[in-house]
Amino acid sequence: MPLDTSTYHLAHLRLDGRRWNELRRFHALLSTQASADGSSYLESGNSKVICTVTGPSEQRRSGAPASNAQRDSAQIIVDISLAGFSGVDRRKTARGSKDRKVMEMQHCVEECFGGVVLGHLYPHSVVQVNVAVLSQDGGVLAACINAVGLALVDAGVPMMGYVAAVTVGSTGTGGGSGGEGEDADDPVLDLNGLEENELPFLTLATVGGGGDGGGDAGEGDKVNVLVMETRMQMAKLESMVAVGLEGCKRVRALLDAAVKGHGKKVLEGKVG
Amino acid sequence: MQADRRRANAPAGGTAPPFFATIPRESLKRPTRTRKPDEHRKIFLRTGVVPSASGSAYYEVPPESDHTSDGLLIPSSSSLKITCTVHGPRPLPRNAQFSPNLLLTTNVKFAPFATRQRRGYVRDASERDLGVHLETALRGVVIADRWPKSACDVVITILEGEEDCFWGSAPQGSDASKGKAGGWGMMGVLAGCITVASAAIVDAGIDCVDLISGGVAAKTTSLGAATDGGALILLDPAPAEHDISAACVVGYLPSRDELTEIWMKGGVGGHSEALIDGAVRSATLASTVLAEAVKEAAQSRLGVSGGDDAANGALKGKDTAMTG
Amino acid sequence: MAPYANLPLSPAELSYLYSSLAQDPPIRPDGRSATQFRPLIAESNILPSANGSARICFIDGTEAVVGVKAEVEQTHENHLVAQNDTRDGERTGRPDPSSAGSWFEISIEIPGLRDDDALPVFLAAMLTEALLGDGELTLKLRINNRFHWRLYIDVLLLSQPLSYPLPLLSLTTHLSLLSTRLPALISEGDEDPLFSDDWEASTFLYTQPNSNAAGKLHQSKPPITLLVISAGENIIFDPSRDELAVAEAVVAISIRQNLLGHMEVVALRTIDAPSRLTASGVPRSLDATTGTNASVSNADAQALREEDEGQSVWRPPRGGINRAKLSQMMATATMENGIGQEVMGGLAGVQGS
Repeated sequence: MPLDTSTYHLAHLRLDGRRWNELRRFHALLSTQASADGSSYLESGNSKVICTVTGPSEQRRSGAPASNAQRDSAQIIVDISLAGFSGVDRRKTARGSKDRKVMEMQHCVEECFGGVVLGHLYPHSVVQVNVAVLSQDGGVLAACINAVGLALVDAGVPMMGYVAAVTVGSTGTGGGSGGEGEDADDPVLDLNGLEENELPFLTLATVGGGGDGGGDAGEGDKVNVLVMETRMQMAKLESMVAVGLEGCKRVRALLDAAVKGHGKKVLEGKVG
Repeated sequence: MQADRRRANAPAGGTAPPFFATIPRESLKRPTRTRKPDEHRKIFLRTGVVPSASGSAYYEVPPESDHTSDGLLIPSSSSLKITCTVHGPRPLPRNAQFSPNLLLTTNVKFAPFATRQRRGYVRDASERDLGVHLETALRGVVIADRWPKSACDVVITILEGEEDCFWGSAPQGSDASKGKAGGWGMMGVLAGCITVASAAIVDAGIDCVDLISGGVAAKTTSLGAATDGGALILLDPAPAEHDISAACVVGYLPSRDELTEIWMKGGVGGHSEALIDGAVRSATLASTVLAEAVKEAAQSRLGVSGGDDAANGALKGKDTAMTG
Repeated sequence: MAPYANLPLSPAELSYLYSSLAQDPPIRPDGRSATQFRPLIAESNILPSANGSARICFIDGTEAVVGVKAEVEQTHENHLVAQNDTRDGERTGRPDPSSAGSWFEISIEIPGLRDDDALPVFLAAMLTEALLGDGELTLKLRINNRFHWRLYIDVLLLSQPLSYPLPLLSLTTHLSLLSTRLPALISEGDEDPLFSDDWEASTFLYTQPNSNAAGKLHQSKPPITLLVISAGENIIFDPSRDELAVAEAVVAISIRQNLLGHMEVVALRTIDAPSRLTASGVPRSLDATTGTNASVSNADAQALREEDEGQSVWRPPRGGINRAKLSQMMATATMENGIGQEVMGGLAGVQGS
């Protein structure tokens, strides 16, 4: 069923009542599981993700001999599993034979954090990251990246900064449909599942580079992940990336708040 | 299931199977139990059937009645034929982790032709489940700490498996017509597996605390069989003959009066203890056959029994008729 | 080897653990009584996209999430036992509990294990046969003669399986089934089913306690599976990982509450005790460094170990469980106001988030 975007021009409200640059409800918890070295739970709208981190631990001896590059720095292994009940229809995902989409997501997350984690501090070691997607409603990759970042923080793995990810879509239906063009092609931030099915979108992740890595850092941000699987007019890309960068900044503030909130709780627990 | 590339498989499209005229329903008579409720079917058990294995045994429960009389090619009830080979104890491979005990692995596989519905070459979930049950049963009996750093494989092939229900009364094409419903047949198969594996382990000369034997009992609600209305505990049920509502398999150690394996399922109600007792009785009956077969094998190995047997190199099997 | 079995405890530690568990009353490492459950964190109804869901964290850090999804499926004729008896003439279709096993499907995912490994297969079979029980769930899934619900129960273990994960998975499944709701049926009879779009009007698969407070009948509840071990003369519920390592026998008992409010056993399985994989200790007399007779032959050493019978040093348990103890386990689990009811009562109090 095509997404009805006709009302968008009237009130500039999206299907779920958000404005173009509003994020969905963002809820993050750290240390949700006692047995893991680091864990996190992240809700972004109706997308829910649980992430656990084991490590950095010694590289397993069995298996393929590690290449030199892996020996010098910690290797990050990401395993993403989409639960059978996570979508609208139940889908059985056979283990061992993961579909390509999930493999690509795993690779994307691995690459994303490979450059951010200060792996040279942990030679010969492995950081195993397990992500369970419990409910998917748009922005699953972004939610995974955010959750993995939080879990790594919880595990105490040193990183250059927060990795904040967000999705950006474009409301233009297939590109520049005539006269009303300009404002009809607004970029929209943080798509939900329905929008994601219909609109061209990209997932953008940035790593905070501005010194303290806190929420207010900005100038030094580096784009870490930029994934787009849909077709779109070249001209729109720039505005979408600009909106995405802004969104990432806000997500980073939320991540920072979650980490600081957790840290405060831990401190109070220790003191009291 | 992924395609099996190691064997020459049947063509994917399949060949046209022989198509038999439908059997008129009336001519299909459900087999009825002719033995007493506490009577076991005859068991044939022989050890040392595979010379290359360190221990082996063959177990058979032949069908009770003669089915040629009703003019059908397909027997209306199934029988049970199981072979077991034991390989080991043998040293663990060099790169394996240290183990202070004998590592026992079990592998239960139905032959593709064992049941009405063809089984694949790759083990399916129910076969793996049976393997775990068998492993649980045997681990408690084998004195594993006498073989550090070694492994032992128990491989069971089921040549003919028991069906889960009477196929004749079920509609065409349904699961039940292929003999698959409720999984009651699997329980009889497990009892046989335990007994035959026990014989093969003894044949391999692995130290055990006792001779374990398997037994199965079932609770039925079939009106025909029940005498005093309501539930009836039956020993060694043939699933084709009864409407089973609950069943229990045990792996029983007669001299210690202990159970290493219990598997009970179904609508047991309050009869769980009666069911377990029934299964233990059934296992006791099987253990007499087992002891006899093992004794005979040992005697012929030592050359105590007739010289003819020893000359032939064949161990005489034991075919014991059992009564309750 | 099962992942939970790999426990770095020395024979001396095992021996200490066992002897404290075998005392009367048993002394457990965490100070619980023999029938006491560990505290747990539970929440239900956590996922909007599933018909029912639950999450449970045990105190040892193991965590599981279960999602239940229901789909309408056409009933094949063969699932109905045609009962055209000559007595009542009327042909009524009744789902045959034995063949209706395919009306729900349990899949278990454990990190680090393939889903056709022995452990997930065994656990799924155990949970399935507990649910099948006497076919009551099947009756609940029936819509009309031609259609039925098909339940997909996906069990995810999110942590490494530190202890035997069966109780955790079973309790989570129980909780998710309690919170499972099916859309209200609008259509009647055998026509194609039509459901109300209003989620508020949906009905619980297992009726909630407050919905028929006046009713004399108790509510039936989905089964739970409890893990019981024996150590010496004691039977101990909800063993931790350390306790499992010294157990003589491990039994999983599935119990459920029937319509009369009594607990009954629906399935029973023994589980391979991980204690059988532990290393045995060396009696002092055999120890080459301290013992007096350092040079004993192999056969003598064997005999000495047998003589010791695990009295002075740890020896992996042999044999199984006797019937009296098994009956005692079942009785304790199903006792009125016993541990079974206590656990179910506790889970019934879990509020949806």
